[in-house]
Amino acid sequence: MARTALQGIIVLDLGTGVATPDGTRLLAELGATVIKIESSKNLDFVRTIAAEKNSSAGFNETNRNKLSIGVDLSTEKGKNLVRKLVKIADVFAENQRGGVAKNLGFDYESVRKIKPDIVYISSQGFGGGGPHADYPAYGPMLSAGSGMLSIWKHPDDPYPVGSNSPLPDHMASKQAAVAMMAALDYKRRTGKGQYIDMAQTEVAASLIGESYLEYTMNNKVPQPKGNRCPYAAPHGAYPCTGMDNWVAISVFTDEEWHSFVKAVGHPEWAEDARFASLTSRLKNVDELDRLISEWTKTRDAWDIQDLLQKARVPAGVVQRAPDTMKDPQIAHDKALVELEHPIVGKRLYPNVALKLSETPAVASKPAPLLGQHTDEICRTYLHMSDSEIRNLKTEGVLESPDIQQK
Amino acid sequence: MTHHQEGALTGYRILDLTDSKGAYCTRLLADLGADVIKIESPQGDMGRSIPPFFNDDPHPEKSLFFIYRNASKRGITLNIETEQGQNLLKKMAEKADVLVENFGPGYMDDMGLGYEDLKKINPNLVMTRFTEFGTDGPYKNYKGSNIVDFALSGVMITSGYPGKAPTLLPGMPAYDAASLITIVEIIAALYVRPSIGSGQKIDASVHEIARTGLYPWSVPIYSHSLTPGGPVPMPESRLGDSIYPVYPTKDGYIRVIALTPRQWQALVKTLGSPEVLSLPEWESFLYRIGNSQDLFAIMLEFTTQFTQMELWEKGYAEGVPISPIYDIPTFINSPDASARKFFTKVNHPVIGEGLYPGPPYKWTVTQPTIKCGAPLLGQHNEEIYCKELGLAKEDLVILRSAGVI
Repeated sequence: MARTALQGIIVLDLGTGVATPDGTRLLAELGATVIKIESSKNLDFVRTIAAEKNSSAGFNETNRNKLSIGVDLSTEKGKNLVRKLVKIADVFAENQRGGVAKNLGFDYESVRKIKPDIVYISSQGFGGGGPHADYPAYGPMLSAGSGMLSIWKHPDDPYPVGSNSPLPDHMASKQAAVAMMAALDYKRRTGKGQYIDMAQTEVAASLIGESYLEYTMNNKVPQPKGNRCPYAAPHGAYPCTGMDNWVAISVFTDEEWHSFVKAVGHPEWAEDARFASLTSRLKNVDELDRLISEWTKTRDAWDIQDLLQKARVPAGVVQRAPDTMKDPQIAHDKALVELEHPIVGKRLYPNVALKLSETPAVASKPAPLLGQHTDEICRTYLHMSDSEIRNLKTEGVLESPDIQQK
Repeated sequence: MTHHQEGALTGYRILDLTDSKGAYCTRLLADLGADVIKIESPQGDMGRSIPPFFNDDPHPEKSLFFIYRNASKRGITLNIETEQGQNLLKKMAEKADVLVENFGPGYMDDMGLGYEDLKKINPNLVMTRFTEFGTDGPYKNYKGSNIVDFALSGVMITSGYPGKAPTLLPGMPAYDAASLITIVEIIAALYVRPSIGSGQKIDASVHEIARTGLYPWSVPIYSHSLTPGGPVPMPESRLGDSIYPVYPTKDGYIRVIALTPRQWQALVKTLGSPEVLSLPEWESFLYRIGNSQDLFAIMLEFTTQFTQMELWEKGYAEGVPISPIYDIPTFINSPDASARKFFTKVNHPVIGEGLYPGPPYKWTVTQPTIKCGAPLLGQHNEEIYCKELGLAKEDLVILRSAGVI
């Protein structure tokens, strides 16, 4: 079997939610051993938003391919066990509320005394060093606190509401993974570890840098455009048959426009002075969108995608989960994978997205139950005897799953 | 002597053949220290025509979109559809560590510059190919775009107001999400290269990986809510304003995260414990979601008695996460962005000096930086072709007139 890219690397994950745990998942898929440090007393936030701590879809997606040690960090014995894990670790990742890792004795200064070349990443909503460094933050607050949300709306919306998904959390976590990988490679080349302090608001801002330049260079406050694009028309999401179904369509070039009008059976639109050129289409975009919506709303979103793509016009169903599950390209790419989790049973997840030809990513494995690998980690990495493990469980320092597995 | 800050990826050379869809990928690698050479056709990257423009002047050296996404890179022109151009690229590939391209399936192979060709010249090369819909399968020839790829990613349906059209996230969300995952793979390939003794090929389909990049939970949440023989779960819709509500204050809007009973109680306390909010039914999160319009009408009266900052700080003290909704200038001037020196001065040969969002993290040893402004079209032709590849200055004239550079 081919070796993996991160074979032999050990990552300690003291994260919660998404911002670092989704990043360490990528490292696990690249072959690192990622150990999630958790306990019933201090649950990962996402474990708490479900019927039961092992049944959260979000948790079970984010923590695939990881090992879980159930260890109570409020006890000195628990801290000592984790300190021993630090000694053999390459990376330490945390995104607890500011100050929590320090109170536990696992801030960078403490960790590097045990392991001087550790790569340590800490991620907070507003980042370290500012007045709100210790403020708790969830994804939807970071689009708000960065300025991104202010331009994320239709021009006629009264105020922006963003999304019920925690955007941009899952992009912050990828940035964290980028940082961990770059720091690991630097460590490989020089032997030096370091501390990385990430701000999730800044991740959001760096995704829309051109909007900040509009202000700093042009002294203009950027305005929301919704689905409009200043160099394409039509460009938007259009209503289709059924409840709340939409198709996204974008037309950039004259060639695409001529294909579009033919495909939708309205060649006369291309002759219409209001729509003949991109300039005139942009000037009359409200009327253009109205006509296109009239056409789309009696048709199925998938049929429109098919029809327009065959005519070489970019179009795509505004997908929700059941759409993704029947998307033929997603099926062809095996982009979804069914995993059997001991508590929730067989469920679908996005498959491993990493495609490296020589060091293939490891196949998806279900997320761990809380403390599922406590014994294994204690034996393999801490060389503890079964009686030591048993005693610490009796004392409540260590824990294993307390529920019947399916 | 100028001091060059060492980056984590200093010493690697990256050939960047992407257009605006992959520019963010190589930009971040450049900030991390890699020497990224942006290779454009002699006509220039189409990204140079994307607004906004400096002073609203639609000039190819003034696209703020292009300038932001290509900072930290050097730039040359090269027509890889000519034989001489192909030879020059091969020569550069000999000493490169990474090549990133997003021409579409088969294009590089047709030019004789596919992975199999370049691997013979440099087995250490890490070659990365971005495509919209992969290189094989029913959508292979489909066309993507920013809004289409975002729609397909499964997150657009959650974005905006219920009843109105789902809303595009600003920026280039699907491409940037795919870029971020791909950077992780590129660095992993560099990391493992000495151990396996060779480079490798990385394939990235935006359609396949954007959902993992942006929001991988749609399918798992749906799948977890399916019970065999049971009712089909409610279709996913746009609930941003009821799950994470937005309220006006004296001086702007705030966003409130009250998911748990404790957070809700803290919110009520933050607003001075008004009686109407202390009714027990409001304690239920699901009740609040179901009655979010009524709740909004009630909340208004109380939230508008405070400023954004007052509620942010009182909420913190009481235990409910609240955030101001900043506009762009307010974030630039915010105490957190200022304390962290997030916005950094960058000089560009045409538009001059300006403040750019910097890398989103502080590193103790190898701080990522924006090394320089985006390159002008062909700005580093002489530096790279003459000084590094050993061509004579006269050769550049010939190559220019032959349409090669």
